[in-house]
Parts: sequence; structure tokens; C-alpha cells
Amino acid sequence: MTALLLVGGLVIYWQSSGDSGPASAPATARRGGQVVASVRGEPRSFNRFVASDLTSVLISELTQGRLVRINRNSFELEPWLAEKWESSADGRTHTFHLRPGVTWSDGTPFTSADVLFSLRAVFDPKVESPIASALRVGGQPIRAAAPDPQTVVFTYAGPSGPGVGLLNSLTILPKHKLEAALDAGTLATAWESKTPLTEIVGTGAFVLREYLPGQRLVLDRNPRYWRKAADGQALPYLDRLVLEMVPEQNAELLRLQAGSTDLTYTELRSEDYVAARRGEEEGRLKVIELGVAPDADAFWFCLKPDAKKGDKRFAFVQKPEFRQALSYAVDREAFAETVFLGAAVPIWGPITPGNKVWFWPDIPRYPHNVDKAKEILKSIGLEDRNANGTVEDASGTEAKFTVITQRGIGSYDRGTVVLRDAAKAVGVTLDIAPLEFGAMLKRLMACDYDAIYMRPLFTDLDPAGNMDFWLSSGSTHLWNLEGKSPATDWERRIDTLMLEQASSIDPDRRKMQFEAVQKIFAENVPVLYFAAPRMYYAYNARLQGVVPSVQRPPVLWNADSLSVTP
Amino acid sequence: MARFLVRRLFFAIFLVFAVSSAALFLTRLAPGDVTAQLGAFASAAEVERTRAQFDLDRGPVAQWALWMSRAARFDFGSSFLYNRPVGALIRGAAANTATLAVVALVGATLLGIPLGIITGSRRGTASALIRGVSLVFLSIPPLLTSLLLVFIASRTRWFPAGGMTSVNAVDLSWSAWLADVALHLPLPALALALPLAATFERLQAQSMTETINQPFVLAAVARGVPANDVIVWHAWRASLRPICAIYGLAIGALLSGSFVVEYVTAWPGLGRLMYEALRARDVYLVAGCAAMGALFLAIGSLIADMLLAAADPRVREAQAS
Repeated sequence: MTALLLVGGLVIYWQSSGDSGPASAPATARRGGQVVASVRGEPRSFNRFVASDLTSVLISELTQGRLVRINRNSFELEPWLAEKWESSADGRTHTFHLRPGVTWSDGTPFTSADVLFSLRAVFDPKVESPIASALRVGGQPIRAAAPDPQTVVFTYAGPSGPGVGLLNSLTILPKHKLEAALDAGTLATAWESKTPLTEIVGTGAFVLREYLPGQRLVLDRNPRYWRKAADGQALPYLDRLVLEMVPEQNAELLRLQAGSTDLTYTELRSEDYVAARRGEEEGRLKVIELGVAPDADAFWFCLKPDAKKGDKRFAFVQKPEFRQALSYAVDREAFAETVFLGAAVPIWGPITPGNKVWFWPDIPRYPHNVDKAKEILKSIGLEDRNANGTVEDASGTEAKFTVITQRGIGSYDRGTVVLRDAAKAVGVTLDIAPLEFGAMLKRLMACDYDAIYMRPLFTDLDPAGNMDFWLSSGSTHLWNLEGKSPATDWERRIDTLMLEQASSIDPDRRKMQFEAVQKIFAENVPVLYFAAPRMYYAYNARLQGVVPSVQRPPVLWNADSLSVTP
Repeated sequence: MARFLVRRLFFAIFLVFAVSSAALFLTRLAPGDVTAQLGAFASAAEVERTRAQFDLDRGPVAQWALWMSRAARFDFGSSFLYNRPVGALIRGAAANTATLAVVALVGATLLGIPLGIITGSRRGTASALIRGVSLVFLSIPPLLTSLLLVFIASRTRWFPAGGMTSVNAVDLSWSAWLADVALHLPLPALALALPLAATFERLQAQSMTETINQPFVLAAVARGVPANDVIVWHAWRASLRPICAIYGLAIGALLSGSFVVEYVTAWPGLGRLMYEALRARDVYLVAGCAAMGALFLAIGSLIADMLLAAADPRVREAQAS
């Protein structure tokens, strides 16, 4: 039962322990069995505070706990190691009551001291934790106090839009195992992937049993896991979860079809959909639609003024009209059809319909119109004066660019070809240069490119969790990384709006402010988006309790509720 | 003989030195580096820290010199990808590759040599059929053989479709673990052994045909020695020289890592390790894998020379001098 109460200046979000922990179980859920899932790479570390690679994050989610969790299917905040909390009316103080009886996998009781330790560790300068920035409010670290072993009071430096949701990022680590390393300044190297697995304890559904580099990670059921199913059964259902290292997606699909893997790490590629459906018809697989992807392939020019000094093309590339014309030039329906083989929806901004909370359907659009595109180009002085098929400005500088992209990705290959043809139709010449990922990345970071086509991933569905993308000083402000100051007036306006919405606790106001941000973004099109793919996921038909998510990992986020048929 | 062995030892050291140095330089000079593995938007501090950790902040020559000085003390650096010492990783992978190579070599020998003796000494439908099958296996690239076997394994479930152990190997006793490995061996071993057996068969058949027409064989026949004894004890022994020559190269090639087969069949050997290291530009792991591959190649050619000496007294005499 959930209730929202207003009592004496306190907004109290209360959730009873009776229905917060239990998971709704599939009708025929059965204890036992094992599931084999594939992962792409080795874990860098078993310490979530220092590793942010996908495998390390997944292992952390399977073996560790948090005070609260954002349900990746409903996007609702759920009590986890904390069974309830209260927030002050100004949104600065949050009092958490820890779930009683929770123990670490080695039997040590979980207390508020572990929470305080985790917060101290994550902000320790020697740890240099990549998740620390997500736990700052107004640039200041969250502070905490523990009046008793079951209570923690968090104090934010100011109001925060995501509020308690920020703590979804805070993995709680065991004080009794890691305090000595933190005190010695060696926490950054504690729990590396070569650490004996018996040293690693957690409050998650599984414990690490075996790690064979290059082969697999074996996780066994944590017998001390706190969560119960609705029918009272102890979770997780599975006795064992095996993560096989399968670095290549073709091999991953083959193993799924052969039944040697139950779950793949990512969604299906468009080109694999038919093969997966065939497996479903034969009764071996189940194919589900996860929804529209929250991330989409994107195209942008380097708009860093310092890096483009002396490049005559920058005079027109920096004009929003030039990018608007390109946006008009692309037929997004055809793009979705060709690039994603029909399994995609047209989009006009970075927030796709897959982000149900923050998607704004009324964002300014650029319907396919070649004549209008040409007209806009002409209005900024770009015409094909020498009839060679490429427009140029009055000084003869041609609108000709090299687009770099990552080599060997099917959707990138198709996307850049469609884009090249669409641009050609309005007189803009794009040469495609597929590069090895590392080389592409190097150029991206140095702004040593004309234009780029790739899929940047948002780390959070809440815009306040992606400030690095929106703020002009951000490290993922794609078109002008880590600018010293806003390069344009519209970027300055976005900065202001984003800082306001990130520190507002009024959801309606936040939504309104973010719509204004999306409008400015769409009008100035620093990054062009064309289509967001529909995500399909295939898994072994013997699996039960699958609750899909558009965020990765699509199924294992809910691993404690998975079960298998005999 | 001692001089020969010393000479070979120096050759092996030189080979390991040259190949690992070349691998290190080429990996270093190729576009991109291991920091790409940190992800698209790792912080500059994180990138710099990683570069310093793997000596990428030094010039290629300085890095090579540093690595060499450490390697002389058997410290081959650390792998970024696996976050552990290269030496330990290579030891495990080399043992796996050696296991696979030995099984494949024994299989190819037991299959290829007798078939070569038959096709080289007899005419008829059976010989023609064997020759045809050999040509097919010689023509198919190992990638296709591996994929075909993986497909058959996944369809029939006669044997596991990949890996070296099953996912429950952690619970198995030592003997059960060995049985589990043995169950996983046929797929990659066959993928390696079939083309090799075809090579042995073709070489043995050709050499056998030439030897059978030699005067000493005809003399043995004329003396009334039974045909089978002539073939096995006279002709076969004399026809072994080309087989021994190719045998060493085959050992070296198998041991130095059969990239494609190990990759497709998910066998955790040297080839697969090197492939992953190359993909990630994991410079010290690449150099370490290359060094081990070169060492195996040197061992393979040493074995070939010794086999040749055993089979041919002229070679023995040359080596002794």
C-alpha cells in the first residue's frame, strides 16, 4: 500500500513493509534451476564505486543493494533496503528507515553504519568514483547522519528534482569488509576482479561463486537475501545464474538459438529479428517488444568555435538554419524503413517516446521537404553557383563534409548512406568515413571531425541525471564538449532552464521547464535525430517472470524474480 | 647434438624477442588505444590515469624498453582487459591451447597417416573416395569447418557446441571435470584435426607413391617379403621425411593459436585471448600472447627437426656436425 501524506510541513512518502519488498510471482514460479546469460566483456572490478563498465554494473546490481530502486519497467521509485522514508517539505531532508532483519551475505547485520560508510566512500577524493557526480545536489555532496542503526537522515544542499530518486545510484557497500581499505586510501583498488570471491559480500540476490576470465562468471543464490515473493517464497527463485563471456553479437544469437544461452545482454538487432521469430515459432524462444528505445542514432557537427577557427565552413555550419535545412532534407519515415527495417518511429529530438515520463510529443518538427530545405540554405547564402551538385557560399566554400562513424555497425552503415543521399538532394555533400571505435572516439574528444554519426546513450531517463549532455560545460555536451562558457545564447538559456528544473521539486514545473529546453534544442538542432528503433528481445522460452525494460539489461534488472520451467 | 640444441635455443630466444617486440610496436602504432575500452565519455582524468598505468604516456621505444626490462624478470605487465598479470593469463590459455593442439595432432596423425598409406599404395574406389574427402577438407577454410561443426553440435546435441567446460564445472570433482573437458574437446579438436589430417593424407600418399617405385622397395618385393610388410617396414619409414618436415610446422601452428577455431568454438586458448587483446588494443597482453606463440613455434620446429633426425640418418649426421 502506498500513500502520500502532508503532515506538519513534512511530505511523508510511506510504504508498508508488507507490500514493498515482495515481488509478484508468475503463477507457476518454482525454486531452483539455473539461467545462462551472456555478457560482452570482463568486469573491470567488483567495486561499483570505481567501475562503470556494463559487466561491472550488472554484477553490482545482482550482488549488491540500494536504499531505493527505480523500477525499470514502471519507472516508479521502490523501497529496497530502506522500507520507507519521509521527506521534508523543502525537499532537502530525507529520513530513511532501514528494512529490519537484512544481513550481508556473510551473515553480518546491515545497519545505517553501512549507509554512512558508502556515502563517505563514494565522495572520497582518492576513490574518484564515477558515480559521485550523480550524488551531488547543487554541486555539493549529499550529507548523512545516523540517529540509530535503523535510521539514516540525508541532507541535500538544496532542493533536487529527482529527490530521493538520486539514491538509486548509491550502491551500499559493506563497512565491515571495506572500511580498512577506505582508511588506507586503497578503496579504489579493493575488490578488483582478481580478488578472492569469498571476500566479496553483498545484500543482493546472488553471490559470486566462480570467475574464469574470458569464460564465465558463476553466481549462486544468496541464501540470506531479504526479499520474498508475494506467496512468501524466498527469492531469488534461481539457484544459479551464469554470465558467459560472449563478446560478439552473432555468436550470442547462435548460442541463444542453440539453447546454450537463455538471455542475451542486449536487444535484438533489426537484422536478427526474423531468425528470432523463427525460433519462437519452433517453441524454443520467446520474442517480446520492449518498447521504443530511449536512445537513438544521432548526427551532429563539431560546433566548438576554438576547434573550428580557420574553417570557412564553420560560418554556415554554426547557423541553426543550416542544420534545420538538413533536418528538412531527411524523410524520417523512409529512414525508419531503411535503417531499422521498419521497426522504428520518427523522432525530432533526443527524448524518444521510449522515455514515457519526459517525452514531449509537441516538439517542433521538420517534415520532409526538399524545396524548403533548399530555400533555407539559399536564405543563408548557400547556393549551387557552379552547378557541381554542391552548394557553396559567396566566397566559394562548399558545403562538403566528412562524416565519421563506427565501423561494422549495420544501422550506422545504413543510416549514413540514407543521410548522405538525403543531404545530396539539397546540395550538401557528405563523405562517409567508418573508423575503428577507438579512433573515432579520439577524434570526437578532440573535436577533430566535421560531423559524426553514432548512438550516444543516456545514462538516466530523468533529464537531471544527464546534465552533462544538456549543460554547455558538460562532458557529454556532444557538439561542444566541456565548453568554458556557453558558446551561444540558446545554450545559455538551456543551461539556466536545466539548472532550474534539476533543483525544482515540483514535477509539473520540471516538466514544463524541460519542454522549454526541448523546444530550444529542436529549434537550434545541434544534434539531428531521425528515428528511434523499436526494441525487441528474445529469450529462452523456459524462462518465467520476465519483466522487460527499455533500459539495459532488459531482463536481468529483475533477476531475483526470474524462474525456469523444469 | 648439444651444439644443435644450443643453436636452437638461441633461435627460440631471438624469435620470441622479435615477435613480441613487433607485436608491441604494431599494437602501439595502430590507431586507437586501450582507453577506448573506458567508453565514449570517460573523464580525461580516467583516460590519463589508464594511459599512465599501461605506459602509454611514454613513447613506443621507451615503452618497449621498459617492457623488455620487466620481461627479463618474467614480469610481462598487466592486462587492461582482464585486470590481472599477463603471465598468469597466458599460462592458463597456453595450457588450454596445448591440450587442444595435442588432441588435434594425435587425431590428425592417427587419421591422416594410415589413410595416406592406403591411398599412396593402392588404387581403387576406396582410395579415390578418401582422396576426394581429403581435397574437400583441404579446400574448406577452418572458419567454415568450425561453423559447420558448431551447427551440427547445436542441432544434434551430440556434444557441446562451445566452451571448454560446462557451466556447472565449478561443482565437479577433479575426475568429473576432466571428463567434462573431454566432452568439450571433440568439436574444436575435429575442426583443427580434419584439415590437418587431409594435409597429412595428401603428403603421405604422394611420398608413398614415390617411395614404392624406389629400387630398394622393388628389391624387397623381389626377395618375397609380404606386400604389407614392404609397405609398412620398408616404404613407409622411408617416405616419412616430408611428413616430419610438415609435422613441425603443424605443431607450431597449432600451438601458437588457432584463432578462428578457438574463437568460433569459444575455446579459452591462446588464439582467442590474443584476438580479444588485439580488439581491445591491450598492448601487453598482445605482446605476451605473441611471445608465447613464437615460443610454441620454436618448440614445434625443434620437434620437427628431431623427428626428421630420427627418421633420416643423413639429417642426424648433419645435425651432429
